Amino acid sequence: MSRKRAIISTVMLCLVLASYYVPMGTAQDKAAAPAVAAPAAPGTPAAAAPAPQAGGTITLTVDKQAIDNGGDLKVSGKAAPGSQVYLEVYNDNKVRAVYFDDRKPDENTPPPYKLYLTHDMPAFYQICIPKDKAEALSKVPGSGPKFQYSQVLKDLGADVAYNAPAKIDIDAFKASIMASIIGSRGDLMPKLDAPETKRRSMQLTKARFRNKGKLLAPIVETAADGAFTAMVKIPTGSAPGKYTIVAYAGKDKSAPATIDNKIAFPVMYLENAGTSLNVFWPFLLTLVIAVFGVLIGAGGGFIMNPVLLALFPTLPHTIVAGTVTPTVLFSQGSGVYNYSKIKFISWKLGIILGLAMAAGGFIGPKLTELISIEQYKFVFGWILLVLAALLFWQTTPGYIAKNKKEQAILKEFKKRAEESAKS
Amino acid sequence: MYMEVEFWGQTFKVNMIIGLIGSFLLAIVASMMGFGGGPFMMPLMSVVLGLPMYLVVGSSLLAIFFNTAMSSMRHYQFGNFDLTFFLMMFPAAILGGFIAPQIAKRISPLTVKRVAVVGLLLLALNLFGVY
Repeated sequence: MSRKRAIISTVMLCLVLASYYVPMGTAQDKAAAPAVAAPAAPGTPAAAAPAPQAGGTITLTVDKQAIDNGGDLKVSGKAAPGSQVYLEVYNDNKVRAVYFDDRKPDENTPPPYKLYLTHDMPAFYQICIPKDKAEALSKVPGSGPKFQYSQVLKDLGADVAYNAPAKIDIDAFKASIMASIIGSRGDLMPKLDAPETKRRSMQLTKARFRNKGKLLAPIVETAADGAFTAMVKIPTGSAPGKYTIVAYAGKDKSAPATIDNKIAFPVMYLENAGTSLNVFWPFLLTLVIAVFGVLIGAGGGFIMNPVLLALFPTLPHTIVAGTVTPTVLFSQGSGVYNYSKIKFISWKLGIILGLAMAAGGFIGPKLTELISIEQYKFVFGWILLVLAALLFWQTTPGYIAKNKKEQAILKEFKKRAEESAKS
Repeated sequence: MYMEVEFWGQTFKVNMIIGLIGSFLLAIVASMMGFGGGPFMMPLMSVVLGLPMYLVVGSSLLAIFFNTAMSSMRHYQFGNFDLTFFLMMFPAAILGGFIAPQIAKRISPLTVKRVAVVGLLLLALNLFGVY
């Protein structure tokens, strides 16, 4: 039997190693990505000139130097009389963002199926717009496919302030069905030019932050003489570190003001997720759900994922899916070990079905980044409904009667197995 | 198409076509969403394939373990894994595994399942954005 187990562990190891050697394009390697810092493109003078323009420089002051796990910042300053002032607020931490373009440009053209990926998205990004645009903003749909970030920016005049993510390094991949099957992102396309980078960066920004409440805030009050004030809210749970605020009015811009967001244990920053969390919440949540999961006979991943998404809306679904999976790995592993000790596993059946599942597990994680959070929630909602139906079926009298017999047989066999393992 | 499986002195005929396709599709959805797939694998093997419970419990866990191991690696590869977040949840998951059997002795599984049905429905409605 131990030889069998050795063979199985070798097979598993080979599978896992094999998954590392599949050609993946070049950009998925984190270490390689930030190496090429995009230099400021010389072709765009308005945004690229850090030197204050003579005559029209905006002044900008912030009332605080530092905040403690989020807080309100009173920003004030003075621009030219009668101008519309926009503030751009962004964090220095970088996170990953992906956008999968599968929308038909028009009726007759097939969808492009391109995947855009960046590792340079600011972990926090917001444009504060004048207060009198609040009504126009409230008419814009809040999130999902109907929320066209670039169009909204243009309509509200906020595109003058859109600068920090406009020059991020973006990798574009041409996806194909074949590439999806072998689990690669597809072929890396040539570098995007500046306008295309800006255009795609807006889609990535939207894909990362999802709703307009996070991206746009109608809070800037401007007086007729050009003096302006705004209460910028950095929410609790935002990324720590340096926040930069720049004011824009027409072609004028202010010198950047920076403030520091400090977090201290038990609040910790999740580097890949781009948000910070109090350590105890996920811990308690996992504890409760793990116990509950074992009681209903499910792993717990089912409940864990949707609850995390509901409670921490700042977490990306890819991170949730990718981090919950390994947490259940070990409990499953110990379960397999315990059963194998009493020889209560049919290795033949388990491995053959397991190989089919490993093939599925090879493809699935790739799809996570292709779907939007809305699609993820929709599919998950149906999965939960099916699961609820299954559990309901298990509480019906017919099932219980049948299950009693089954459980008795199960116990009997288990006892026999344990006894023979001992002797 | 049929495979014979011997388990504790008994032989079972398993329809491998349904079994393989079913577990393959299940694994795609499960790994995409980020869970193991246990509560779906059990009915697939016991109800659809008609295997007895005592064969299903261990073997389905082994099959799911393959899926979880593979999809964990793939998620890691795609940068979906956050170490800090993992370290927050992992000890709790292990601890939960020890506490659960103690609680299971004291309450009826039927009650737990009824609570779960209501809870899952609420959660599903939340995901659909009903409230």
